[in-house]
Amino acid sequence: MSIRSIALLAISAWLCAASPVIAADLHATVYDEGGTPLTDAVVVAYPDGFAIEVPKTSTEVEDQIKKEFVPYVKPVHVGTLVKFPNKDDISHHVYSFSPAKRFELPLYRGTVASPVMFDKTGIVKLGCNIHDWMIGYLYVTDAPFFAKTERQGRVDILQMPAGPYRVHVWHPRMFASEDSTIRHITVQESASVEWRLKLNREFRARRTPLPDEPGYR
Amino acid sequence: MNHYPVQASIKSTCVCLAIAGALNGAPACAADWGIDISAGLSSDDNVTNAFEAADRKADTTAILDLAAGLHHEIRPGTSFGLNFISESATYMSYSGLTNLGLGVRGQLRKKFGLGAAAPWTALSVAALHRDYHDDNRDGWQYDASLAVGKRLDERWSLHAMAHYDRYAADEHQPQVIPGLSSAAYDVSGRSIGAGVSFLATEADAISLNAWWRNGSVTSVTHPDLEVLEYSDAVIQDAAFGANAIAYRIQATTTLFSLNWNRVLASGVAVNLGYAYRRSDTDNDIGGYYANLFNLSVTYSQ
Repeated sequence: MSIRSIALLAISAWLCAASPVIAADLHATVYDEGGTPLTDAVVVAYPDGFAIEVPKTSTEVEDQIKKEFVPYVKPVHVGTLVKFPNKDDISHHVYSFSPAKRFELPLYRGTVASPVMFDKTGIVKLGCNIHDWMIGYLYVTDAPFFAKTERQGRVDILQMPAGPYRVHVWHPRMFASEDSTIRHITVQESASVEWRLKLNREFRARRTPLPDEPGYR
Repeated sequence: MNHYPVQASIKSTCVCLAIAGALNGAPACAADWGIDISAGLSSDDNVTNAFEAADRKADTTAILDLAAGLHHEIRPGTSFGLNFISESATYMSYSGLTNLGLGVRGQLRKKFGLGAAAPWTALSVAALHRDYHDDNRDGWQYDASLAVGKRLDERWSLHAMAHYDRYAADEHQPQVIPGLSSAAYDVSGRSIGAGVSFLATEADAISLNAWWRNGSVTSVTHPDLEVLEYSDAVIQDAAFGANAIAYRIQATTTLFSLNWNRVLASGVAVNLGYAYRRSDTDNDIGGYYANLFNLSVTYSQ
């Protein structure tokens, strides 16, 4: 084998390692401490040591239906515009105090004309100033791969380039920090990862009224 | 045979259904239409507000309450609520006390700032006509209150209230004692109160309330000349027998209540409560007390 051939082979091998193109699937499952499958957990995957072109952002929707945010948790890529349509026939007043995005959409019905840009990574906790029990979360991430667990606590991230990844999970009620869930895994054709999360209890303002307590019901 | 308790319940149920039906057909608008129904039992070991043990009468009451109406956001942080109210109380032993109240309540509420922890204040006024089995008690009940509150953190919230209440009977009986008013059921008072509620779990709330009221109260006893020295109104009280009299005195009433409330399903909750009520007269007759228990199921939508 000539020196030139060896050099070409080496360059090809390096290119393969640096830019993995083989499609692979990541299967993640999230449970609570008792082994019950957990919905609304966001699983994110960062390439570990190689770069991936991040897909262009789009416009997403966070609904308000029957005086609740739908979905309860929505992961979006940083730079995404989010619309907050009000599908109820009453007014809502959406706001967030979160450092990742402070904003307020005072009393409105229908769809707000201007969507809100989420240009900073982090957790954005949503509230409604009329209906205090309404809580929702936007998980704003710069990870190229992310998804949310559905029923059975499962999420499948498909067609990822094969290679090493740093993966972690977040849930609104998780007790530990998100960093404590970091795993380093290599995703070849298929890989599975599983977490068991200790959860905090969530104390929302009561939607069902208390007797003798004045206020909006 | 006395059919009044059944009639009151049927009447109240019909009112509930009629209002619920009307709300169901209400056109969609910015106002939030809602309904609260509460059904349950309560007991009072001193419905007569009696000082003497011999005069104390206990009773159990079946309660069916309805509030139905609208809530409208006038501008950010300010809202207005208007509810039609139906309250029925069916007394098991002293049927003369069985009554049906129909009325209206309005509330203006202001929230100072954004978020669940923002403090708020609410001004409420209500007028309710009570139709008793014992017709002498029929009359209008008026209430006005100013409340303030704040959610301290995820689990604790506080509220305080100033309240004015007045009851005015529709008609007054002839005087029992010449020169002494027969308006024994016409009472009024001013109260202040405060309460704290705590979320023990996501579904369980425990609340503690304390009230102080100064004003007139109606007590029932057997004819007693001593009472006439302190009372400014006396009437025969048919609800407790031909030989009973109701009389009005000035008193300071203290009430402490403890409630446990558990959410069973969306909009459905069960409530168990206990209250201790003590009244001390402004002159030196003494005081009386009552223990009150209630168990109810509420539905809110």
